[in-house]
Amino acid sequence: MNGQVHIEPVTGRYMRLPIDGQMYRVYWEEAGSGIPLVCLHTAGADGRQYRELLNDEQITANFRVIVFDMPWHGKSSPPAGFQQHTYELTTEGYVNQILAICDALALEQPVVMGCSIGGRVVLQLALHHPERFSALIGLQSSAHVEPYYDTSWLHRSDVHGGEICGAIAYGLMAPMSPDDHRYETVWHYQQGGPGVFKGDLYFYKIDGDFREQLSGIDTSKCPLYLLTGGYDYSCTPDDTRQLASQLGVDMIEMENLGHFPMSENPQLFRQYLLPVLEEIRSKC
Amino acid sequence: MMNMSDIVERLSTLPQHAAAGSALAVKGSQLTSVVMLVCNEHKLVLRIEQGVVQSVSTGPHVMPSFDFSLSASEPDWQLFLSSVPPPGSHDLIALLRRGALELQGNLYPLMSHLMYFKLLFESLRTETSS
Repeated sequence: MNGQVHIEPVTGRYMRLPIDGQMYRVYWEEAGSGIPLVCLHTAGADGRQYRELLNDEQITANFRVIVFDMPWHGKSSPPAGFQQHTYELTTEGYVNQILAICDALALEQPVVMGCSIGGRVVLQLALHHPERFSALIGLQSSAHVEPYYDTSWLHRSDVHGGEICGAIAYGLMAPMSPDDHRYETVWHYQQGGPGVFKGDLYFYKIDGDFREQLSGIDTSKCPLYLLTGGYDYSCTPDDTRQLASQLGVDMIEMENLGHFPMSENPQLFRQYLLPVLEEIRSKC
Repeated sequence: MMNMSDIVERLSTLPQHAAAGSALAVKGSQLTSVVMLVCNEHKLVLRIEQGVVQSVSTGPHVMPSFDFSLSASEPDWQLFLSSVPPPGSHDLIALLRRGALELQGNLYPLMSHLMYFKLLFESLRTETSS
């Protein structure tokens, strides 16, 4: 075999499952064994954001890392009849797809780590389903984001959706993140389906406003970890700091990382993540 | 630290960064626009034709006509143009997010070529950060 060839220890499969009464074909990848660690990608992207984490032997030695593409994203299909609807991610729909996939894989007490919209939805899991998870990790997690640009630009017939979604993602990363990882992250956004990024932001900026529900979270029922990159201007460190303060938990500010820590600079991100995973493992 | 004349001088070099045949010119090959750049009382008119920055005029301008304008203060242009810009100043939309950049006019040329404009202005930084 050519010595330059490396076959990754990552497997990808499809499942067909009902979510909210409708059938979906969902793609997921996994690697490792041990405590299930379900990873949620950001709005408008897909599970490739966790490609290096799936290949991190120090993590997969103790965790079964599971990454699924949300319906409409990556290699997961939209549901039959999608052409008749405008895609909008809702809080209920997002929570239900996570629970359905955890059930379909018969995961017991998984850890869920989500970034951006994923960092928001773990708050819903902490509020409504703390007993189902051994820990929750919010990356770039905030209770709410005020609109700061007109998201209608993301889905117009006269603007290339891939170009503008990629350009929006590009700026959210730290300028010192390695170019190869930064541009791979951009590429994921350039490949998103028409209107999908915008549809996800419906949850992020409108439907998923969590400010009025914060007081219902009891972090003694399920540990919650919050980590935010310093260069993120969508969810700033101050946004997460405010969330952490209201929840009475600590937050970790990740210097020289932006909105996509696991994808834009995996080597730097793992330095922040490994101690968190070790603490979770010590308590399981 | 750059002063105002340094900033204006730096912005005036834009034609060198998007000359004919450059990667930026190729990226913006379908972009033709006139853009007003504002830094305090200074106004520069940037003419782009098929991705090539043809000229940057520092004025004085008499009845300037342009598609859209980007306005930021001297300190914010300084931060944006620094070799390793701090959080909140590393991207045009980052400036917008914290209210440091004002966009006015017909934004179609900007939003349909957002990456072009981001890379164009980043090219003015003294050294790349990665």
